Amino acid sequence: MKQAVERPGPTNTDIMGDPVSEMRPALHRLRDWVYPDQIDHALYRAYMKQSHDVGGEPDAPGIFEEKEEEKWELNTFVDCEVLGWRGIWTSEERRRIGNVDIGRTMYCGLPYYGRWLWAIIRILMEKQHITLGELVERVHSVQERAAGRTTQNPLEAEPRSTGNEKTVVRNRHHKDAVGKGDPQCFKGMAGKARFSVGDKVRVRELPTILYSRTQEYLRGAQGTIARVTYESPAPEDEAFNREDKKPEWFYIVRFKMTDIWKSYAGPSQDTLQSEIVERWLEPHST
Amino acid sequence: MTKDVPMVEEITDFEVLEVALRELAIEKGLFTAEEHRRYTEFAEGMEPAPASRLVAKAWTDPAFKKRALEDPIAASLEVGINWLNPTGFGTPSDFTALHILEDTPTLHHVVTCTLCSCYPRPILGNSPEWYRTPNYRRRIVRTPRQVLAEFGLFLSPEIEIRVEDSNSKHRFLVLPVRPAGTEGWSEEQLAAIVTRDCMIGVALPKPGVTTNVVRTVHHATEPITGHSTGK
Repeated sequence: MKQAVERPGPTNTDIMGDPVSEMRPALHRLRDWVYPDQIDHALYRAYMKQSHDVGGEPDAPGIFEEKEEEKWELNTFVDCEVLGWRGIWTSEERRRIGNVDIGRTMYCGLPYYGRWLWAIIRILMEKQHITLGELVERVHSVQERAAGRTTQNPLEAEPRSTGNEKTVVRNRHHKDAVGKGDPQCFKGMAGKARFSVGDKVRVRELPTILYSRTQEYLRGAQGTIARVTYESPAPEDEAFNREDKKPEWFYIVRFKMTDIWKSYAGPSQDTLQSEIVERWLEPHST
Repeated sequence: MTKDVPMVEEITDFEVLEVALRELAIEKGLFTAEEHRRYTEFAEGMEPAPASRLVAKAWTDPAFKKRALEDPIAASLEVGINWLNPTGFGTPSDFTALHILEDTPTLHHVVTCTLCSCYPRPILGNSPEWYRTPNYRRRIVRTPRQVLAEFGLFLSPEIEIRVEDSNSKHRFLVLPVRPAGTEGWSEEQLAAIVTRDCMIGVALPKPGVTTNVVRTVHHATEPITGHSTGK
Protein backbone atom coordinates (compact mmCIF):
# COMPACT_ATOMS: atom_id res chain seq x y z
CA MET A 1 0.00 0.00 0.00
CA LYS A 2 2.77 2.37 0.98
CA GLN A 3 3.86 4.51 -1.90
CA ALA A 4 6.67 6.95 -2.12
CA VAL A 5 5.06 10.32 -2.45
CA GLU A 6 6.45 13.78 -3.05
CA ARG A 7 7.07 15.15 0.40
CA PRO A 8 5.04 18.31 0.90
CA GLY A 9 7.70 20.14 2.89
CA PRO A 10 7.02 23.62 4.22
CA THR A 11 8.14 26.55 2.12
CA ASN A 12 8.79 30.10 3.19
CA THR A 13 5.46 31.27 1.92
CA ASP A 14 3.22 28.75 3.67
CA ILE A 15 4.78 28.95 7.14
CA MET A 16 2.34 31.39 8.65
CA GLY A 17 -0.72 29.93 6.99
CA ASP A 18 -0.53 26.33 8.08
CA PRO A 19 -3.14 25.17 10.59
CA VAL A 20 -0.56 23.96 13.07
CA SER A 21 0.71 27.51 13.51
CA GLU A 22 -2.82 28.71 14.08
CA MET A 23 -3.07 26.22 16.93
CA ARG A 24 -0.22 27.80 18.82
CA PRO A 25 -0.49 28.52 21.67
CA ALA A 26 -4.26 28.22 21.68
CA LEU A 27 -7.19 28.33 19.34
CA HIS A 28 -7.18 31.49 17.30
CA ARG A 29 -10.53 30.75 15.75
CA LEU A 30 -13.57 32.63 16.85
CA ARG A 31 -15.75 29.69 16.05
CA ASP A 32 -15.84 27.13 18.88
CA TRP A 33 -18.62 24.91 17.58
CA VAL A 34 -17.66 23.02 14.50
CA TYR A 35 -19.60 20.70 12.19
CA PRO A 36 -18.02 17.45 11.01
CA ASP A 37 -17.86 18.56 7.39
CA GLN A 38 -15.81 21.62 8.36
CA ILE A 39 -12.74 19.70 9.48
CA ASP A 40 -10.47 18.81 6.59
CA HIS A 41 -7.39 16.62 6.94
CA ALA A 42 -4.98 19.51 7.54
CA LEU A 43 -7.08 20.92 10.34
CA TYR A 44 -7.64 17.45 11.82
CA ARG A 45 -3.85 17.00 11.90
CA ALA A 46 -3.46 20.33 13.63
CA TYR A 47 -5.84 19.22 16.38
CA MET A 48 -4.10 15.86 16.73
CA LYS A 49 -0.65 17.43 16.84
CA GLN A 50 1.12 16.83 20.13
CA SER A 51 1.90 19.93 22.13
CA HIS A 52 5.50 18.88 22.86
CA ASP A 53 6.37 18.52 19.17
CA VAL A 54 7.47 22.10 18.48
CA GLY A 55 10.50 21.56 16.21
CA GLY A 56 10.32 23.87 13.21
CA GLU A 57 7.26 25.83 14.32
CA PRO A 58 7.62 29.43 13.17
CA ASP A 59 8.76 31.84 15.86
CA ALA A 60 10.50 35.17 16.10
CA PRO A 61 13.89 35.52 17.80
CA GLY A 62 13.52 35.44 21.58
CA ILE A 63 15.73 36.46 24.46
CA PHE A 64 17.71 33.57 25.89
CA GLU A 65 17.69 33.91 29.68
CA GLU A 66 19.02 32.04 32.67
CA LYS A 67 16.74 31.39 35.63
CA GLU A 68 17.08 30.64 39.30
CA GLU A 69 15.10 27.69 40.55
CA GLU A 70 12.30 28.05 43.11
CA LYS A 71 12.30 25.67 46.06
CA TRP A 72 9.03 24.14 44.93
CA GLU A 73 10.56 23.50 41.52
CA LEU A 74 13.39 21.48 43.01
CA ASN A 75 10.92 19.64 45.26
CA THR A 76 8.74 18.86 42.24
CA PHE A 77 11.70 17.58 40.24
CA VAL A 78 12.71 15.37 43.17
CA ASP A 79 9.12 14.09 43.65
CA CYS A 80 9.10 13.02 40.01
CA GLU A 81 12.50 11.38 40.16
CA VAL A 82 11.70 9.53 43.38
CA LEU A 83 8.42 8.29 41.87
CA GLY A 84 10.56 6.86 39.05
CA TRP A 85 13.11 5.42 41.48
CA ARG A 86 10.34 3.63 43.39
CA GLY A 87 8.61 2.26 40.30
CA ILE A 88 5.44 4.35 40.29
CA TRP A 89 6.12 5.51 36.74
CA THR A 90 8.76 5.64 34.04
CA SER A 91 10.06 8.93 32.69
CA GLU A 92 8.23 8.20 29.45
CA GLU A 93 4.90 8.11 31.29
CA ARG A 94 5.79 11.41 32.94
CA ARG A 95 6.72 13.00 29.62
CA ARG A 96 3.53 11.78 27.96
CA ILE A 97 1.36 13.22 30.71
CA GLY A 98 3.19 16.49 31.41
CA ASN A 99 4.17 17.38 27.85
CA VAL A 100 1.32 16.06 25.73
CA ASP A 101 -1.76 15.01 27.69
CA ILE A 102 -1.70 18.44 29.31
CA GLY A 103 -2.87 20.07 26.08
CA ARG A 104 -1.51 22.97 24.11
CA THR A 105 -2.91 25.85 26.16
CA MET A 106 -1.45 24.66 29.46
CA TYR A 107 1.72 23.43 27.71
CA CYS A 108 2.49 26.95 26.59
CA GLY A 109 0.96 28.63 29.63
CA LEU A 110 2.29 26.90 32.74
CA PRO A 111 5.87 27.14 33.99
CA TYR A 112 8.08 24.18 33.13
CA TYR A 113 7.87 22.52 36.54
CA GLY A 114 4.18 23.43 36.81
CA ARG A 115 3.66 20.80 34.12
CA TRP A 116 5.74 18.26 36.05
CA LEU A 117 3.46 18.86 39.04
CA TRP A 118 0.37 18.41 36.94
CA ALA A 119 1.81 15.09 35.74
CA ILE A 120 2.11 13.90 39.35
CA ILE A 121 -1.59 14.58 39.92
CA ARG A 122 -2.53 12.63 36.81
CA ILE A 123 -0.36 9.61 37.52
CA LEU A 124 -1.46 9.29 41.15
CA MET A 125 -5.08 9.51 40.01
CA GLU A 126 -4.77 7.24 36.96
CA LYS A 127 -3.00 4.52 38.91
CA GLN A 128 -5.50 4.88 41.76
CA HIS A 129 -2.96 5.74 44.45
CA ILE A 130 -5.14 8.62 45.64
CA THR A 131 -8.72 9.71 45.14
CA LEU A 132 -9.70 13.13 43.89
CA GLY A 133 -11.57 13.72 47.14
CA GLU A 134 -8.38 13.13 49.13
CA LEU A 135 -6.40 15.49 46.92
CA VAL A 136 -8.96 18.28 46.95
CA GLU A 137 -9.28 18.13 50.75
CA ARG A 138 -5.51 18.04 51.21
CA VAL A 139 -4.85 20.98 48.92
CA HIS A 140 -7.55 22.89 50.78
CA SER A 141 -5.99 22.13 54.16
CA VAL A 142 -2.47 23.00 52.95
CA GLN A 143 -3.84 26.32 51.69
CA GLU A 144 -5.16 27.00 55.19
CA ARG A 145 -1.80 26.08 56.72
CA ALA A 146 -0.06 28.32 54.23
CA ALA A 147 -2.05 31.42 55.11
CA GLY A 148 0.10 33.99 56.88
CA ARG A 149 3.34 32.05 56.56
CA THR A 150 6.51 34.10 56.54
CA THR A 151 9.98 33.48 55.16
CA GLN A 152 11.02 32.55 58.70
CA ASN A 153 8.16 30.12 59.10
CA PRO A 154 7.95 28.46 55.70
CA LEU A 155 5.44 25.94 54.49
CA GLU A 156 6.72 22.39 55.06
CA ALA A 157 5.34 18.99 54.14
CA GLU A 158 3.77 17.40 57.20
CA PRO A 159 2.64 13.90 56.30
CA ARG A 160 0.13 12.58 58.84
CA SER A 161 1.33 8.98 58.62
CA THR A 162 3.72 6.70 56.77
CA GLY A 163 2.15 4.29 54.31
CA ASN A 164 2.84 0.61 53.88
CA GLU A 165 5.30 0.49 50.98
CA LYS A 166 4.82 -3.24 50.48
CA THR A 167 1.21 -3.01 49.32
CA VAL A 168 1.92 -0.44 46.58
CA VAL A 169 1.75 -1.62 42.96
CA ARG A 170 5.06 -0.82 41.26
CA ASN A 171 6.56 -1.43 37.82
CA ARG A 172 9.10 -4.16 37.04
CA HIS A 173 11.50 -1.67 35.53
CA HIS A 174 12.68 -0.02 38.75
CA LYS A 175 14.07 -3.39 39.86
CA ASP A 176 15.25 -4.74 36.50
CA ALA A 177 17.32 -1.62 35.79
CA VAL A 178 19.30 -1.63 39.05
CA GLY A 179 23.01 -2.09 38.48
CA LYS A 180 22.55 -1.88 34.71
CA GLY A 181 20.88 1.40 33.89
CA ASP A 182 18.29 2.27 31.28
CA PRO A 183 18.40 1.42 28.32
CA GLN A 184 21.14 -1.13 29.20
CA CYS A 185 18.54 -3.22 31.07
CA PHE A 186 16.83 -4.03 27.74
CA LYS A 187 19.98 -5.32 26.05
CA GLY A 188 19.50 -8.49 24.02
CA MET A 189 15.70 -8.31 23.98
CA ALA A 190 14.97 -6.82 20.56
CA GLY A 191 16.40 -9.52 18.31
CA LYS A 192 18.28 -8.62 15.17
CA ALA A 193 18.49 -4.96 14.15
CA ARG A 194 16.75 -4.35 10.83
CA PHE A 195 19.09 -1.55 9.73
CA SER A 196 22.86 -1.04 9.73
CA VAL A 197 25.08 2.02 9.64
CA GLY A 198 24.96 3.61 6.19
CA ASP A 199 21.51 2.27 5.28
CA LYS A 200 19.20 4.73 3.55
CA VAL A 201 15.92 5.05 5.39
CA ARG A 202 12.77 7.10 5.33
CA VAL A 203 10.78 8.17 8.38
CA ARG A 204 7.31 6.70 8.02
CA GLU A 205 4.33 9.01 7.83
CA LEU A 206 2.18 7.30 10.40
CA PRO A 207 -0.80 9.10 11.87
CA THR A 208 -0.31 11.07 15.06
CA ILE A 209 -2.43 9.63 17.85
CA LEU A 210 -1.87 10.40 21.54
CA TYR A 211 1.91 9.99 21.85
CA SER A 212 5.10 9.62 19.90
CA ARG A 213 8.69 10.79 20.05
CA THR A 214 9.08 10.78 16.27
CA GLN A 215 8.89 14.44 15.41
CA GLU A 216 6.44 15.63 12.77
CA TYR A 217 9.11 17.70 11.04
CA LEU A 218 10.97 14.47 10.23
CA ARG A 219 7.99 12.49 8.96
CA GLY A 220 8.56 11.42 5.38
CA ALA A 221 12.14 12.67 5.34
CA GLN A 222 14.90 10.47 3.99
CA GLY A 223 18.12 10.00 5.91
CA THR A 224 21.01 7.67 6.64
CA ILE A 225 21.59 5.44 9.66
CA ALA A 226 24.52 7.04 11.51
CA ARG A 227 24.54 4.68 14.47
CA VAL A 228 22.67 1.64 15.75
CA THR A 229 22.20 2.74 19.34
CA TYR A 230 20.35 0.55 21.85
CA GLU A 231 17.31 -1.58 22.53
CA SER A 232 14.40 -0.14 24.48
CA PRO A 233 10.63 -0.31 24.49
CA ALA A 234 9.15 2.05 21.90
CA PRO A 235 7.97 5.34 23.42
CA GLU A 236 4.44 4.40 22.30
CA ASP A 237 4.63 1.39 24.66
CA GLU A 238 6.69 2.76 27.50
CA ALA A 239 4.56 5.89 27.80
CA PHE A 240 1.59 3.67 28.63
CA ASN A 241 3.43 1.32 30.97
CA ARG A 242 3.27 -1.65 28.57
CA GLU A 243 6.01 -3.69 30.16
CA ASP A 244 4.66 -6.73 28.32
CA LYS A 245 5.80 -5.37 24.95
CA LYS A 246 9.01 -6.32 23.19
CA PRO A 247 11.82 -3.74 23.08
CA GLU A 248 12.95 -2.44 19.69
CA TRP A 249 16.18 -1.11 18.18
CA PHE A 250 16.82 2.62 18.09
CA TYR A 251 18.96 4.41 15.52
CA ILE A 252 20.60 7.79 15.23
CA VAL A 253 19.56 8.91 11.77
CA ARG A 254 21.32 11.68 9.90
CA PHE A 255 19.36 14.00 7.62
CA LYS A 256 20.45 16.74 5.29
CA MET A 257 18.82 20.00 6.32
CA THR A 258 17.75 20.54 2.74
CA ASP A 259 15.92 17.18 2.85
CA ILE A 260 13.91 18.32 5.89
CA TRP A 261 13.21 21.96 5.04
CA LYS A 262 12.52 22.93 1.47
CA SER A 263 13.18 26.52 2.45
CA TYR A 264 16.54 25.82 4.14
CA ALA A 265 18.75 28.73 3.20
CA GLY A 266 21.99 27.60 4.84
CA PRO A 267 24.85 25.72 3.20
CA SER A 268 23.82 22.42 1.65
CA GLN A 269 26.20 20.38 3.82
CA ASP A 270 24.34 21.21 7.07
CA THR A 271 22.79 18.21 8.76
CA LEU A 272 20.54 17.15 11.64
CA GLN A 273 20.47 13.93 13.62
CA SER A 274 17.77 12.37 15.74
CA GLU A 275 17.21 9.04 17.44
CA ILE A 276 14.35 7.08 15.93
CA VAL A 277 12.77 3.79 16.98
CA GLU A 278 12.75 1.02 14.38
CA ARG A 279 8.96 0.93 13.81
CA TRP A 280 9.10 4.49 12.44
CA LEU A 281 11.72 3.70 9.76
CA GLU A 282 11.42 2.05 6.38
CA PRO A 283 14.12 1.23 3.80
CA HIS A 284 14.61 3.82 1.14
CA SER A 285 16.72 3.56 -1.96
CA THR A 286 17.59 6.40 -4.27
CA MET B 1 15.87 43.36 51.46
CA THR B 2 17.09 42.74 55.02
CA LYS B 3 16.93 39.34 56.62
CA ASP B 4 15.69 40.43 60.08
CA VAL B 5 12.32 41.64 58.88
CA PRO B 6 9.98 38.66 58.45
CA MET B 7 8.41 38.89 55.02
CA VAL B 8 4.88 37.72 54.56
CA GLU B 9 5.39 35.01 52.02
CA GLU B 10 3.29 34.83 48.91
CA ILE B 11 2.69 31.10 48.87
CA THR B 12 1.96 30.08 45.31
CA ASP B 13 -0.56 27.53 44.16
CA PHE B 14 2.31 25.44 42.86
CA GLU B 15 3.96 25.35 46.27
CA VAL B 16 0.72 24.29 47.96
CA LEU B 17 0.08 21.63 45.37
CA GLU B 18 3.59 20.23 45.65
CA VAL B 19 3.36 19.95 49.43
CA ALA B 20 -0.08 18.31 49.24
CA LEU B 21 1.08 15.75 46.68
CA ARG B 22 4.28 14.94 48.57
CA GLU B 23 2.34 14.42 51.81
CA LEU B 24 -0.11 12.07 50.11
CA ALA B 25 2.67 10.16 48.33
CA ILE B 26 4.40 9.54 51.66
CA GLU B 27 1.16 8.62 53.43
CA LYS B 28 0.32 6.12 50.68
CA GLY B 29 3.77 4.52 50.89
CA LEU B 30 4.77 5.48 47.33
CA PHE B 31 8.06 6.79 48.68
CA THR B 32 9.44 7.85 52.04
CA ALA B 33 10.36 11.29 53.33
CA GLU B 34 13.89 9.95 53.76
CA GLU B 35 14.12 9.00 50.08
CA HIS B 36 12.94 12.46 49.10
CA ARG B 37 15.55 14.00 51.38
CA ARG B 38 18.32 11.79 49.98
CA TYR B 39 17.48 12.59 46.39
CA THR B 40 17.29 16.32 47.18
CA GLU B 41 20.73 16.14 48.72
CA PHE B 42 22.03 14.38 45.61
CA ALA B 43 20.42 16.95 43.28
CA GLU B 44 21.75 19.89 45.29
CA GLY B 45 25.22 18.36 45.37
CA MET B 46 25.51 17.94 41.62
CA GLU B 47 28.41 19.85 40.11
CA PRO B 48 27.52 22.56 37.61
CA ALA B 49 29.47 21.09 34.69
CA PRO B 50 31.84 18.22 35.52
CA ALA B 51 31.97 17.40 31.81
CA SER B 52 34.48 20.23 31.40
CA ARG B 53 37.02 17.89 33.01
CA LEU B 54 36.10 15.16 30.56
CA VAL B 55 36.67 17.49 27.61
CA ALA B 56 39.98 18.76 29.01
CA LYS B 57 41.16 15.21 29.58
CA ALA B 58 40.14 14.20 26.06
CA TRP B 59 42.13 17.13 24.67
CA THR B 60 45.30 16.10 26.47
CA ASP B 61 45.07 12.30 26.49
CA PRO B 62 44.36 10.63 23.11
CA ALA B 63 43.82 7.21 24.70
CA PHE B 64 41.19 8.69 27.03
CA LYS B 65 39.52 10.47 24.12
CA LYS B 66 39.22 7.15 22.31
CA ARG B 67 37.67 5.54 25.39
CA ALA B 68 35.34 8.51 25.85
CA LEU B 69 34.05 8.29 22.30
CA GLU B 70 33.59 4.51 22.52
CA ASP B 71 32.08 4.25 26.00
CA PRO B 72 31.25 7.67 27.44
CA ILE B 73 29.46 6.24 30.50
CA ALA B 74 32.61 4.35 31.54
CA ALA B 75 34.79 7.36 30.68
CA SER B 76 32.59 9.55 32.90
CA LEU B 77 33.68 7.41 35.85
CA GLU B 78 37.27 8.46 35.20
CA VAL B 79 36.29 12.08 35.85
CA GLY B 80 34.25 11.16 38.92
CA ILE B 81 30.74 10.83 37.51
CA ASN B 82 28.85 7.60 38.08
CA TRP B 83 25.76 7.62 35.87
CA LEU B 84 24.09 4.89 37.97
CA ASN B 85 23.84 7.23 40.99
CA PRO B 86 21.80 7.79 43.06
CA THR B 87 19.21 5.03 42.43
CA GLY B 88 21.38 2.21 41.10
CA PHE B 89 19.90 2.89 37.66
CA GLY B 90 20.73 6.55 37.35
CA THR B 91 18.68 9.70 37.53
CA PRO B 92 15.43 8.40 36.04
CA SER B 93 14.76 11.39 33.74
CA ASP B 94 18.20 11.29 32.21
CA PHE B 95 18.64 7.58 31.49
CA THR B 96 22.17 6.22 31.30
CA ALA B 97 23.18 6.54 27.65
CA LEU B 98 25.64 9.24 26.65
CA HIS B 99 26.98 10.03 23.21
CA ILE B 100 29.85 12.44 22.68
CA LEU B 101 29.73 14.52 19.52
CA GLU B 102 33.23 15.33 18.37
CA ASP B 103 33.67 18.64 16.56
CA THR B 104 36.35 19.04 13.91
CA PRO B 105 37.60 22.17 12.14
CA THR B 106 34.89 21.56 9.54
CA LEU B 107 32.06 20.17 11.68
CA HIS B 108 30.19 21.89 14.52
CA HIS B 109 27.53 20.21 16.66
CA VAL B 110 24.75 21.87 18.60
CA VAL B 111 22.30 20.03 20.87
CA THR B 112 18.60 20.53 21.47
CA CYS B 113 15.58 18.47 22.46
CA THR B 114 12.61 19.61 20.43
CA LEU B 115 10.22 17.42 22.44
CA CYS B 116 11.13 18.38 26.01
CA SER B 117 14.48 19.25 27.54
CA CYS B 118 16.61 16.08 27.36
CA TYR B 119 20.02 17.04 28.68
CA PRO B 120 23.01 15.15 30.15
CA ARG B 121 22.22 16.38 33.67
CA PRO B 122 24.63 14.09 35.59
CA ILE B 123 27.61 15.47 33.68
CA LEU B 124 26.40 18.93 32.67
CA GLY B 125 24.23 19.97 35.63
CA ASN B 126 20.75 21.39 35.25
CA SER B 127 19.74 22.59 31.82
CA PRO B 128 19.59 26.34 31.39
CA GLU B 129 16.14 27.89 31.14
CA TRP B 130 16.63 29.01 27.53
CA TYR B 131 17.40 25.41 26.51
CA ARG B 132 13.93 24.41 27.74
CA THR B 133 12.03 27.14 25.92
CA PRO B 134 9.89 26.38 22.89
CA ASN B 135 11.59 29.30 21.17
CA TYR B 136 15.05 27.67 21.15
CA ARG B 137 13.58 24.25 20.39
CA ARG B 138 11.40 25.48 17.52
CA ARG B 139 14.11 27.47 15.77
CA ILE B 140 17.45 25.72 16.30
CA VAL B 141 16.40 22.77 14.12
CA ARG B 142 15.20 25.01 11.31
CA THR B 143 17.49 28.04 11.27
CA PRO B 144 20.52 26.94 13.30
CA ARG B 145 22.93 29.51 11.89
CA GLN B 146 20.62 32.39 12.77
CA VAL B 147 20.03 31.06 16.30
CA LEU B 148 23.73 30.48 16.91
CA ALA B 149 24.38 34.04 15.73
CA GLU B 150 21.96 35.22 18.44
CA PHE B 151 24.26 33.46 20.91
CA GLY B 152 27.18 35.38 19.42
CA LEU B 153 28.49 32.40 17.48
CA PHE B 154 29.05 33.14 13.81
CA LEU B 155 30.19 30.09 11.85
CA SER B 156 31.64 30.25 8.37
CA PRO B 157 29.63 28.61 5.59
CA GLU B 158 32.44 26.08 5.04
CA ILE B 159 31.74 24.54 8.43
CA GLU B 160 29.01 21.90 8.48
CA ILE B 161 26.50 22.48 11.26
CA ARG B 162 25.03 19.31 12.67
CA VAL B 163 22.05 19.80 14.95
CA GLU B 164 21.46 16.90 17.34
CA ASP B 165 17.80 16.62 18.28
CA SER B 166 18.06 14.63 21.49
CA ASN B 167 14.59 13.11 21.44
CA SER B 168 15.02 9.64 22.95
CA LYS B 169 17.18 8.04 25.64
CA HIS B 170 20.62 9.16 24.53
CA ARG B 171 22.07 12.29 26.05
CA PHE B 172 24.58 14.32 24.07
CA LEU B 173 27.71 16.27 24.87
CA VAL B 174 29.71 18.34 22.40
CA LEU B 175 33.47 17.81 22.42
CA PRO B 176 34.71 21.11 20.95
CA VAL B 177 37.94 21.56 19.05
CA ARG B 178 40.78 22.57 21.36
CA PRO B 179 41.42 26.23 20.62
CA ALA B 180 44.76 27.65 19.53
CA GLY B 181 46.72 29.44 22.22
CA THR B 182 46.30 26.67 24.79
CA GLU B 183 49.50 24.79 24.01
CA GLY B 184 51.11 23.37 27.12
CA TRP B 185 48.11 24.11 29.35
CA SER B 186 47.27 21.75 32.22
CA GLU B 187 43.97 19.85 32.30
CA GLU B 188 42.80 22.22 35.01
CA GLN B 189 43.54 25.30 32.92
CA LEU B 190 41.81 23.76 29.94
CA ALA B 191 38.75 22.69 31.93
CA ALA B 192 38.26 26.30 33.02
CA ILE B 193 37.54 27.45 29.45
CA VAL B 194 35.18 24.58 28.65
CA THR B 195 31.91 26.17 29.67
CA ARG B 196 28.46 24.63 29.71
CA ASP B 197 27.53 26.60 26.59
CA CYS B 198 30.53 25.14 24.72
CA MET B 199 29.33 21.64 25.51
CA ILE B 200 25.78 22.38 24.30
CA GLY B 201 27.35 23.85 21.19
CA VAL B 202 26.17 27.47 21.37
CA ALA B 203 29.68 28.79 22.10
CA LEU B 204 33.28 27.92 21.32
CA PRO B 205 36.03 27.68 23.95
CA LYS B 206 38.43 30.63 23.95
CA PRO B 207 41.52 31.29 26.05
CA GLY B 208 40.59 33.79 28.74
CA VAL B 209 36.85 33.07 28.62
CA THR B 210 35.81 30.97 31.63
CA THR B 211 32.11 31.79 31.93
CA ASN B 212 29.05 31.56 29.76
CA VAL B 213 28.00 34.73 28.02
CA VAL B 214 26.33 36.84 30.68
CA ARG B 215 22.61 36.75 30.12
CA THR B 216 19.75 38.25 32.06
CA VAL B 217 18.71 36.08 34.99
CA HIS B 218 15.11 35.61 36.00
CA HIS B 219 15.36 35.57 39.78
CA ALA B 220 13.37 33.19 41.97
CA THR B 221 11.03 34.37 44.73
CA GLU B 222 12.38 31.66 46.97
CA PRO B 223 15.57 30.36 45.33
CA ILE B 224 17.11 27.06 46.29
CA THR B 225 20.38 27.45 48.12
CA GLY B 226 23.58 27.32 46.17
CA HIS B 227 21.79 27.20 42.85
CA SER B 228 24.07 27.98 40.01
CA THR B 229 22.74 29.48 36.81
CA GLY B 230 25.52 27.75 34.99
CA LYS B 231 29.26 27.94 34.81
